[in-house]
Amino acid sequence: MKIRNRRQRMAVLMAVSLFLLVLVTAAGWAFGETASATDFSRKNLAPCLSYPFGTDFMGRDMLLRTVAGLSSSIRLGILTAAVSAVIAFILGLAAAVLGKAADGVISGMIDLVMGIPHILLLILISYACGKGFWGVVVGISLTHWTSLARLIRGEVLQLKESNYVKIAARLGHGKLKVAFFHMTPHLLPQLVTGLVLMFPHAILHEASITFLGFGLPPEEPAIGIILSESMKYLVMGKWWLALFPGLLLAGVVLLFHFLGEGLLLLLDPENAHR
Amino acid sequence: MRNGTAGTEPVPANYPAIRHRTQAETCGRKGDRMKMTKRHSRKYRKITGIALCAAMAAGLLAGCGGTGTENSGNTGAPGGESGVPGAAAESGASSSSGGAAAAGEGTAKDSVVVVMGPTSEPESGFDPAYGWGAGEHVHEPLIQSTLTVTTADLEIAYDLATDMKVSEDGLTWTVDIRDGVAFTDGEPLTAEDVAFTYNTLRDTSSVNDFTMLKEAVAVDGDTVEFHMNRPYSIWPYTMAIVGIVPEHAYGPDYGQHPVGSGRYMLKQWDKGQQVILEANPDYYGEAPKMKQVTILFMEEDAAFAAVMAGQADLAYTAASYGDLTVDGYNLLAFETVDNRGFNLPAIPAGSTDENGVPLGNDFTCDVNVRRAINLAIDREEMIQNVLNGYGTAAYSICDKMPWYNEAAQVTYDPEQAARLLDEAGWVMGANGIREKDGAKAEFTLMYSAGDSVRQALSEDTANQLRELGIDVTVEGVGWDVAYDRAQSTPMLWGWGAHTPMELYNIYHTAPGGTYAQYSPYFNETVDQYMDEALASSSLEESYELWKKAQWDGETGVTADGDIPWIWLVNIDHLYWSREGLKVAEQKLHPHGHGWSIVNNVDQWSWE
Repeated sequence: MKIRNRRQRMAVLMAVSLFLLVLVTAAGWAFGETASATDFSRKNLAPCLSYPFGTDFMGRDMLLRTVAGLSSSIRLGILTAAVSAVIAFILGLAAAVLGKAADGVISGMIDLVMGIPHILLLILISYACGKGFWGVVVGISLTHWTSLARLIRGEVLQLKESNYVKIAARLGHGKLKVAFFHMTPHLLPQLVTGLVLMFPHAILHEASITFLGFGLPPEEPAIGIILSESMKYLVMGKWWLALFPGLLLAGVVLLFHFLGEGLLLLLDPENAHR
Repeated sequence: MRNGTAGTEPVPANYPAIRHRTQAETCGRKGDRMKMTKRHSRKYRKITGIALCAAMAAGLLAGCGGTGTENSGNTGAPGGESGVPGAAAESGASSSSGGAAAAGEGTAKDSVVVVMGPTSEPESGFDPAYGWGAGEHVHEPLIQSTLTVTTADLEIAYDLATDMKVSEDGLTWTVDIRDGVAFTDGEPLTAEDVAFTYNTLRDTSSVNDFTMLKEAVAVDGDTVEFHMNRPYSIWPYTMAIVGIVPEHAYGPDYGQHPVGSGRYMLKQWDKGQQVILEANPDYYGEAPKMKQVTILFMEEDAAFAAVMAGQADLAYTAASYGDLTVDGYNLLAFETVDNRGFNLPAIPAGSTDENGVPLGNDFTCDVNVRRAINLAIDREEMIQNVLNGYGTAAYSICDKMPWYNEAAQVTYDPEQAARLLDEAGWVMGANGIREKDGAKAEFTLMYSAGDSVRQALSEDTANQLRELGIDVTVEGVGWDVAYDRAQSTPMLWGWGAHTPMELYNIYHTAPGGTYAQYSPYFNETVDQYMDEALASSSLEESYELWKKAQWDGETGVTADGDIPWIWLVNIDHLYWSREGLKVAEQKLHPHGHGWSIVNNVDQWSWE
């Protein structure tokens, strides 16, 4: 296929990104059990043909562990980004539609959450929820909705002034009906793009909170766990414990970034002529 | 400078604010100039910002570098200028490695730099009432002296005491105290100080059980009497860890400024970094050979880095470092009673304690299951694989102690283990996991999250038990929940102390409770032997009773008995030791990879 323009190039890049991400997720899902299997007869091996990423102090295969970790990160990222996006959408819409009081309260909430450093709030929430998978999910979901909510709110405020919305209101449609039937279709591109661009944040924050010991439990294959464990062994020269998982984490984040940028390009009407 | 050239001239970053104002005033009327000035004033502001940042950064760097070098000089100089107030304060800010570097290089061969883990730093200072020497991890208090000491084979010898008698009923201990002992502030150490120490600890000790002591009384200047609430034959082991504090110099901040009569004096303590001990010139015993002992507190990897950089004379390390070598250093391994083992709740699930904590476990309550697990553990494999060979097999909480009963020892026998399970009705299921009446042979094994050795031991246990047909799930937990959850779920623990009380704490019914404290278990005969051991009038006799409590030929807590705890390994304590340093012979280290190593630092030497 001959690639003619930027939109097509982007589409191909997105397809490749999506394929790789699905592959990693599925592989991690399939090998989840074997990833945590310990075998002390093969501990501390440097990367070799049978263990391309080496093994750790309990003889776990680092390739499998890394893939399983990324897979759980991706699943967690999708879940939390989706929840965040829904929160952002509802609050953003509500702030713009339900009048001044609601707007004040919601804008205040946005400012409040944004005013506290993410990671701090994340640790507090995750710890209060008893850490573990759900602690991380609740923590990330409750901290990542703010900027998207603000974006949606601004968009809705603009839409409110447009003629077709005004006409719909004059025709006697209720506020909610206008919001859901007339405004939502216009907001979807922003929402979807925002959602996808939230993945990398969610994944990185999951990794960092787990790294700090407030996230996933230590026996779970998770990138944060792998990286924090590796810290102890770096001084012994076991570089492979941190290098490959770290690189792959960066890679996954980059793939999601491509996906989001691509969506932005394809969905934004402004770019349609390219 | 005139306005005309202002825009083109490179402006020194130092005067931007003033210059801005001048320009605004002088070229205010002309539009284009105005624009230019505005643009440039923005640029100035930017330049100022950058300049300020650079200056701050430079300042910071210079500051750090400056203090760093200065301090390594201060701390390192033998003899130490810490008599000068400023020097002491400054080296408080020094990086510990900086201080260590110079000290390590010191030509004086009567000082030593020892690295311990950060948890070895006594949180509440050097006060025996708050765990110094006598806490969870027992060791000799160094700064204070004790009435008795434990010998190399863990029997009792005298330090401050010269004679010791116990009454027939075991309720009165009379201890004669050595003459001519003085605290480092010059005041003599008397029986009053001893009585004061024990009475204070009884009232305030947050870490030790002193409920058996009614009152300590100074009968005369060199005799003290301990009146007990109940017989306690192993009182000499308590006396071996309680440092005697001076009544006249004891107060709330004693831990920060300890005064004692021991081999060393606290010279300097930089919290979070280092402790410097200096030999007590007036020590009543043999004068310490090491005149200065510097103890640094570092994480495992930092300790190793310090060794690689040649900054420490002796540094703790872990088995995972055992296959590395460092030029100029030897790896020392000391045997220990620092054991690792896991509890198996010995009662069925269903009940709760008075706080609502669930008790018991339906799988491990079967004694045959517990015996089978004990037989199916290949301890040698564990030592080779997990500990890189640096450990010994553990069969009890007190291996090699005078009160250890060798009946606890078992040989690895997976066939017998399988037979036991078969007989108990746990037959092999389809997927290699045993079943009985629809229930699966499975349990969760917890370990304290973050401890990689315990994690690896747990995982290895799980691997070994899977071959027997038991499905073990390993889970890392925090200490905040561990104690409660261990009442119903097996947990990997570390124990080991120089006192038979360990047996009591693990196996004896908790005072006022129905079951033992850490894992539900109850055996009346075992309890009785231990009560008798505490009530016996001589230590030798009590050793026999402690042994019987473990196994009397019919019942007990060992392999053929109730086996409510499975003991895996004793972990060797490993140290990197600079070549030429002669570390004196060590007694079996107790749990806690910390101060025990310097128990006899006064006898170390350089060759």
